[in-house]
Amino acid sequence: MPDAPILELEKVSMAFEGKQVLRNVSLILHHNETYGITGPSGCGKSTLLRIVNDLLSPTSGSVRFQEKDVREWNPQELRRRVVMVPQEAKMFPGTVRANLVWGLKVHGMTTEDEQLKAILREVQLWPIDLDGNAENLSGGQKQRVAIARALLLKPNVLLLDEPTSALDTDSALAVEKTINSLLSDHQMGVLIVTHNKEQAERFTSRVLELENLSEAS
Amino acid sequence: MQLDLFALFQIPEQYTVMLQRYAAAMILLAVLIIVTKWQGIGIGHKLIVGTIRGTIQIILMALILVYIFALSDLIVIFGVLTFMGVFAGHTTRSNLERIPGVMRATLPGILVGALSVMAVVVVLEIIDWRSGPGEFIIPMGGMLIGNCMGLTSLVIDRMWSNAQKQRPLLETALALGATPKQATELTIRESIRSGLLPNLNRYASLGIVSIPGLMSGMIIGGVNPLEAAIYQVIIFIMIFLSAMIAALITSRLFLREMFNERAQLTVPPPEP
Repeated sequence: MPDAPILELEKVSMAFEGKQVLRNVSLILHHNETYGITGPSGCGKSTLLRIVNDLLSPTSGSVRFQEKDVREWNPQELRRRVVMVPQEAKMFPGTVRANLVWGLKVHGMTTEDEQLKAILREVQLWPIDLDGNAENLSGGQKQRVAIARALLLKPNVLLLDEPTSALDTDSALAVEKTINSLLSDHQMGVLIVTHNKEQAERFTSRVLELENLSEAS
Repeated sequence: MQLDLFALFQIPEQYTVMLQRYAAAMILLAVLIIVTKWQGIGIGHKLIVGTIRGTIQIILMALILVYIFALSDLIVIFGVLTFMGVFAGHTTRSNLERIPGVMRATLPGILVGALSVMAVVVVLEIIDWRSGPGEFIIPMGGMLIGNCMGLTSLVIDRMWSNAQKQRPLLETALALGATPKQATELTIRESIRSGLLPNLNRYASLGIVSIPGLMSGMIIGGVNPLEAAIYQVIIFIMIFLSAMIAALITSRLFLREMFNERAQLTVPPPEP
């Protein structure tokens, strides 16, 4: 008997100021599954992730996490379990260490440096100066810090918005490999947005292709 | 010719001198407006309206000040302070008209900040107000209200513009499960710090660079200079405390205007 879905989207639609961005999007994500969302620019891929992360509420349809509508979850608790790494990896003012523990801190959790080192090894960013200014990191390094920061929360679902868009091909492949190994280690579902259909097919077990509704209409 | 006109309308000489001085000040105002326009600061309209409105308000206030200073009933005095606080809240809304819900956030902050500190000062008799309740409490309360108004405006302006300009960082914080308060903590802290900075500078240079109006007025009015100086230090502490209370209350209340009940950011992106 298959396990219960960890995340379910049912006929999710979204419109901004009367402009339809998403129409009747449905998907089911299970544990240890990587689901790719692809499509042309402006088709609402990032919007969909923001809806799942509850940063936006859909105009119609429902999002269920662990068989409970997201509106029934406390927003902070939901976002600790369903963590999103935005496309543009933004660093908070301060050190690499402060950035890594930022999410833990807001939930009143702590960690040891050993755990930080372990997670940084997983995202292939160790060794790094934990006391260095996070703003001085390269785009790829920031992306990995952002992924590590999200993983430290031990999420059930990881939402990755174009995680390799800022990286060169080699780094992008390395990050893909990293995410794949994380998937088996962390027992979570991953929803990954990418404009690159090949990457989506190569990297994920299922792919949902969205269309640009403004062009289609 | 001008003096003849004054004579014609039988305007006493002291008023003609005063009006001439006011006219001279208007030349300075014109220079100020030209400079702000040249530098593209865009506050010319506010300066003109503020001068007209401020002149009328202060003249009216001066005319009724005699009666206000004569007030001895504490309830009436605090009623006057409440009216001043409401007006301050309204002023913050007018100055930040592009931002919704300003007065809902600033008014409670200004009233609680200024009136609570003033009430403690009165109850504990930190200032000797009994010799003239209206004379002491209203000008000091006015100073607190004015400073609360300035700081609350600044905090709201910073919170709003940061939410627009640093939207990705704010959403990164929310996406990691931060509450709106946690996500905006840094902005609030920095805006309170920078809002208090001018007064902190005046405080640090007290008596050497800045000779505050209250102390000067008291000395001119015949109060012992030592007593006037101590009053000035007390006033500064009252200003910091009331402005801090006002800013904290306002920032918490303003979060309701920036986020909905699902802790989603409702501030629109900046207009291109």
